[in-house]
Amino acid sequence: MDITEFLFGGSAALLANLARYVVPLLAVLIVVRCVRSMLRERYEPETWAYLYFPGEVMVPLRHWECIVGRQKSADAYIEHPSLEKLHACLIRSADGGWTVYNLGKGVTQVNGRIAAAGGLPIADADVLTLGDVPARFVDLTEEERASLLKYRHMPGRNVRPAGTLLLLTAMQILLTLEQLAYNPRATVTVAVAFAGLCLLQWLYFIVLRASGQRGFEVELLGFFLTTIGLSVAASSVPGAILKQLVFLLAGLALFLFLGIWMRDLRRMKSLRLPALIAALAFLALNLVLAEVTNGAQNWVEIAGFRFQPSEFVKILYIYAGAATLDRLFVNRNLFVFIGFSAACVGALALMSDFGTALVFFVAFLVISFMRSGSFATVFLAVTAAVLGVMLVLTVKPYIVERFATWGHVWDDVYNKGYQQARAMSAAASGGFFGQGAGNGWFEEVVAADTDMVFAMICEELGLIPGLCCVASILVLAGFVVKNASAGRSSYFVIAAAAAVTMMMTQLALNVFGTMDILPFTGVTFPFVSRGGSSLISCWALLAFIKGSDIRARASFAVKRPEKFSGGAGVEDELPPEDAEGEAEGGVL
Amino acid sequence: MKKVTTRSFAALILAALIVAGMGIYLFRLARDGGDWASFYANDSVYSGGVINRGAVTDRNGVLLAFSGESAFGYAESADVRRACLHAVGDMKGNIGTGALSAFRSKLIGYSILTGTTGEGGTVKLSIDADLNVAAYNALNGRRGAVLVYNYETGEILCMTSSRSYDPNVGFDADDSDYEGVYINRAISASFVPGSVFKLVTLAAAIENIPDLFEQTFYCGGSLEVDGQRIKCSGTHGTLTVEQALAHSCNCAFAQIAQQLGGDTIAAYAEKYGLTSTHDLNGIETAAGSVESGENSADTAWEGIGQYNDLVVPYSLLRLMGAIANDGVVTEPSILAGKSNGSERIMEAETARTLSELMSYNVEYNYGAGNYPGLSMHAKTGTAEFGDGTSHAWFAGFITNSDAPLAFVVLVEHGGGGYAVASPIANTVLQKAVFG
Repeated sequence: MDITEFLFGGSAALLANLARYVVPLLAVLIVVRCVRSMLRERYEPETWAYLYFPGEVMVPLRHWECIVGRQKSADAYIEHPSLEKLHACLIRSADGGWTVYNLGKGVTQVNGRIAAAGGLPIADADVLTLGDVPARFVDLTEEERASLLKYRHMPGRNVRPAGTLLLLTAMQILLTLEQLAYNPRATVTVAVAFAGLCLLQWLYFIVLRASGQRGFEVELLGFFLTTIGLSVAASSVPGAILKQLVFLLAGLALFLFLGIWMRDLRRMKSLRLPALIAALAFLALNLVLAEVTNGAQNWVEIAGFRFQPSEFVKILYIYAGAATLDRLFVNRNLFVFIGFSAACVGALALMSDFGTALVFFVAFLVISFMRSGSFATVFLAVTAAVLGVMLVLTVKPYIVERFATWGHVWDDVYNKGYQQARAMSAAASGGFFGQGAGNGWFEEVVAADTDMVFAMICEELGLIPGLCCVASILVLAGFVVKNASAGRSSYFVIAAAAAVTMMMTQLALNVFGTMDILPFTGVTFPFVSRGGSSLISCWALLAFIKGSDIRARASFAVKRPEKFSGGAGVEDELPPEDAEGEAEGGVL
Repeated sequence: MKKVTTRSFAALILAALIVAGMGIYLFRLARDGGDWASFYANDSVYSGGVINRGAVTDRNGVLLAFSGESAFGYAESADVRRACLHAVGDMKGNIGTGALSAFRSKLIGYSILTGTTGEGGTVKLSIDADLNVAAYNALNGRRGAVLVYNYETGEILCMTSSRSYDPNVGFDADDSDYEGVYINRAISASFVPGSVFKLVTLAAAIENIPDLFEQTFYCGGSLEVDGQRIKCSGTHGTLTVEQALAHSCNCAFAQIAQQLGGDTIAAYAEKYGLTSTHDLNGIETAAGSVESGENSADTAWEGIGQYNDLVVPYSLLRLMGAIANDGVVTEPSILAGKSNGSERIMEAETARTLSELMSYNVEYNYGAGNYPGLSMHAKTGTAEFGDGTSHAWFAGFITNSDAPLAFVVLVEHGGGGYAVASPIANTVLQKAVFG
């Protein structure tokens, strides 16, 4: 209160009221800019090598992982009785080398040597024999490689990330102003927190930009949602708001680490089993140490530090669950994954954390569908889950009670519908533009800033920013699917799809649970809900999404190979930055 | 790889579901947002449990209630406060059907665009505060209700319920005289209709007994049906159906009811909306009930508005409006200038016949001179109780070209419809038509 009056005198209230209308506008602009930058641009199909079949039939290999076989959906489809449906798999590594894996019962040979499941390296001019069909493997020539680079798409041309970041900064300033004007509990700490967030995002941008990065849409959406989340924290816990900043720092560090770690797929793959074991260990630890909180035993306290293990298990789950093509079609691997998933979902159900269990289950459905491609698998999994749920409900009928209010919130506003009736009331009173950041009453309701945060956004910031938050996550989903079309490794595609699926499931359970469209399960809204574990885990999941971005200089998660093995000398795979990228000019 | 790529669309299915879910949310917000926002826990519009903004006025702009950040109040005149109490409601929400409760979303100035961030709104009721006072004073402390509405536009000009109290003063909760004082008798309570119900029986007879107007009915002062004695208000001798209605002859209508059967009468009561609830600008009115009994005595009683018959004054008002309007009821509205549509509930021919007979009632029996300047069509009702008291009813309409008004007057345990309710109707209508 005092600060704004000091700065702006009597016009503080007027300014805050104006800010109330500008913030939704900025939110729309930010999301629209990210969408334009992410989804508008067309990806050119890339070719990484060729297979020449008898009669000089040429088949281009368009991904880093390709299936060859007698199935129409195979990347290289050959109709010959001696071939299996999924006969072999060709995988290119980041250093440019190719490996062949035999997938089925058929025979695959490279220059007469039989390739087993372990794989055989294959190079330019090698003869690849699939069943009885010989094929010549032809790697890219220097010219082709150069032209590939030339046409590779580079982000940041249509929409400059610095501009979006400036809009976000404006939004942060206005939110600070609103908090100080409206929120009687807000002190200078709130301003410090927003300044810290602002500083952090610019630092991130400048450092990565300086290192040659051009694509920032994914992080910008992350920072946008985090900003909304910071306003939520400023309203509900203005005193402890700096903690959120620390969590963001941790999340951002994990995001960067995971992204860089993902550059080397081989390194990544080598830790899949440890990740699986760590996930199970986390859950086991949780079950043992669990302390009953809010009806769900999902908190663990170690040395005064409280966290939700299930949030970190999400990361490990995806890390261990995604797979490269060579392993994708081995049933044994799929069964291990199903068992692993069942253990995760089961452990969460034991903790009565049904919301998170559902988040995992939906991620499981998506991963298993992408891995097996069979609706039968998904159908089986759903059937098994329904039976499991029915069994649980017969054994513990009191669980049904928890969902009994679903659809009848307004019939029980004094008791079971208490929170949700208030949530809907608060959300409706916000209108399109909100009551103003820090100007709501809903924050006093239990879980307003976590499991019901959508209502709090709608109340204080308005329906427009609320919808922008939802749109942000949906845009990430669209981005992941778009990236998949030119995806190089199935690992990244699967991991990104699983990560965005988890976010969407959380979003759906949060928003629709709050608004009585789905049963209320108590799940956080990605990035926005207050809470350390959740924020850190969301940033880590964002690294998987970032990893699917294959545009030039877009993702730090994709290695920028300076050299090709066997290539002639040093070769930058990237187009020169000044070529046309700077057409718009600009300092940043 | 192609397979994995294609299958990544699975993520889009979830995204589509979320979009659909948001659609449901936005639809519900557009439909119910006003109700959500006016929930009592919404601290942005309630201070100390009372809405902190908005005003209610009558059709002429007379302030009936207002509320602000620090204060709230009611009409200036104590008479207006009492007479309009049930239409306006109270700040604490005890009178759930009052404007202060029913139109909260308008009072708080809710719109989906601005939520509750704007100014409070003014609810302009269709009632005339002075007319309400006239009606309330005419009831003179007796329990009852008066309703007057324009059957062409639908606007309710008068709606008062007695007993009432002055909301600035409150009432003694221990005084049994105030029992049920929060209930608006005009729309939220049902009463034994007595002879006003004969209009329903008659309507059924017109449509189901082809030679009704050729028949004559004998009244010897009482009629024995199934061992039960149905008493009449007089000994009317041989009557045509017109005369039977004008004299409100129980013997004649008991015979007509026998010819119709109890189920037919109940079906007509249902058809005319007497047994269902109605939506008065979002306020749900009470439902009446008419059921057929086991024996013909029950049927006879049912046909003359006794037995288990219960009617809400509001539903009867709609029926009067329909008869006046050739069978089409213009749905009443309590908000000024707001139309609620119309619906045909009765055959035009039937409505015109009933209208003629109700006019005949006045000429032949009630005396047109009792209603100077009004082209009165009406029916009395004296609903008897075992304890010797009776509800006094007077319901009908006037066809003055500048005042197409339908009305219902009820005085609980007030005595005879003609003696007690009819003069009240005249007082109120004189005021409504001639000021």
